[in-house]
Amino acid sequence: MADYGLDPHGNLILDEYRQMRPALQKMKEVALSIIRKDIADKNLMVTATEARVKEEGSLAGKLALKGHKYATARDITDLLGVRVITFYSDDVDKIAAMAENLFWIDRENSVDKRKMHQLDSFGYNSLHYICRIPEYLYKDPDFPEINEIRFELQIRTSLQHVWATLYHDSGYKSGVEVPSQYLRQMNRLAGMLELADEQFCVIRRDINDYRRRVQSLVSDGRLEEVALDGDTFKSYLAMQPFDTLNRRIAALNQAEIQEVPLQRYLPVLKDLGMTTLGDVEQMIRGGQEDAYRLASYQLGVTDIDIITSAVAIQNLCIVTILRNGGGKPGLQSLFDTINGQSEANASLAEMIYHQAENLKLI
Amino acid sequence: MEINITNNGDSMVCTLAGRLDTPASLQVSKDIQPLLDNADKEIILDCTDLEYISSSGLRILLGIRKETARKGGKVILKHIREEIRQVFLMTGFYNLFEIQDS
Repeated sequence: MADYGLDPHGNLILDEYRQMRPALQKMKEVALSIIRKDIADKNLMVTATEARVKEEGSLAGKLALKGHKYATARDITDLLGVRVITFYSDDVDKIAAMAENLFWIDRENSVDKRKMHQLDSFGYNSLHYICRIPEYLYKDPDFPEINEIRFELQIRTSLQHVWATLYHDSGYKSGVEVPSQYLRQMNRLAGMLELADEQFCVIRRDINDYRRRVQSLVSDGRLEEVALDGDTFKSYLAMQPFDTLNRRIAALNQAEIQEVPLQRYLPVLKDLGMTTLGDVEQMIRGGQEDAYRLASYQLGVTDIDIITSAVAIQNLCIVTILRNGGGKPGLQSLFDTINGQSEANASLAEMIYHQAENLKLI
Repeated sequence: MEINITNNGDSMVCTLAGRLDTPASLQVSKDIQPLLDNADKEIILDCTDLEYISSSGLRILLGIRKETARKGGKVILKHIREEIRQVFLMTGFYNLFEIQDS
């Protein structure tokens, strides 16, 4: 066993720690599993959840410096450290609330370093809770001390984590005193990262507000006010705007309709010059009869009794391309977009074009 | 209808020859079980000699696609004839499969 040159009291605490190690290892698994499960249950997205049992050498260093502060090893609250790293600073509070509901919190020794700074200081922003695992969450007769030993839970954002890691590497834990001018530069960076964290939250809130506004416009039918993009098209598709036409086409052969994703048609609609959901709605209203006639011409002479939900939008796009004068190249471009470029798409375009001529769609 | 499956390790190659119609579909749906079992891989369906496909055949292809989507693999259709490509187009299957000509 290593000799760290500690005084008798320090050595006693170190021995106690060695006996606690199996329980600490078990606690690490249990605490991580509890936290990860709750994060998943609440649909929260975090960057990482991690944990470590303090290394013996690191503890010895701590005991050499301030061993007198601790009566027993159990007074040292970071023998097990658990960390949750979030994307957004708003989520630090959510994880904190989650921890408060899960664990017994030693409030006297818990620290919210985010609130410790003076008006003119920046730096190590993180929330530290000293916790215990309550028996109702986990109980193990082989390790009854698991419910007694406290552990430290750190909650911070990714940017705070980057800063804290670099600060530790270059700062007070490196063993060499760093001139204050460099520490000041680190603290200036901390201020900048704090602003960046805030901005990320503002952007997330703005995007969510925008989505809610769009969903409201879509559900109110004010489609001409909604710009056509990935998000709005998704909301629009949730209203199943092509459903009526698909069902009408399916009825030709009493076919079943297999639902498939339609997002691939977004670039086609944009290529057709559509800029709002109102334009898409207009395409449906103005093109559904011809789109149906085309489907009827193709499927009516077959006994095919399965189609996908892409038939309606595909035929509407074909009709719109032809009305806009896109001709065979326009049709080929459509097929290239929905299935990748291929020489065979030219002959498909040719075939559809002739069908459209026969139906006098052109 | 003839079907031949080769396991190449990272991918499964299945050659389909003849008419994939309703009578053939019953046997084919059993024969393709190795493809469904290996749906985490790339599944290449060589359709060079596939002459015809019915609704039952489309359902079989859809079943393979769904299984690969579920298990993280993918389906590639190779050398499909123009008549079958037309069936894919009129049924809305065209944007569901990666189709390679070479």
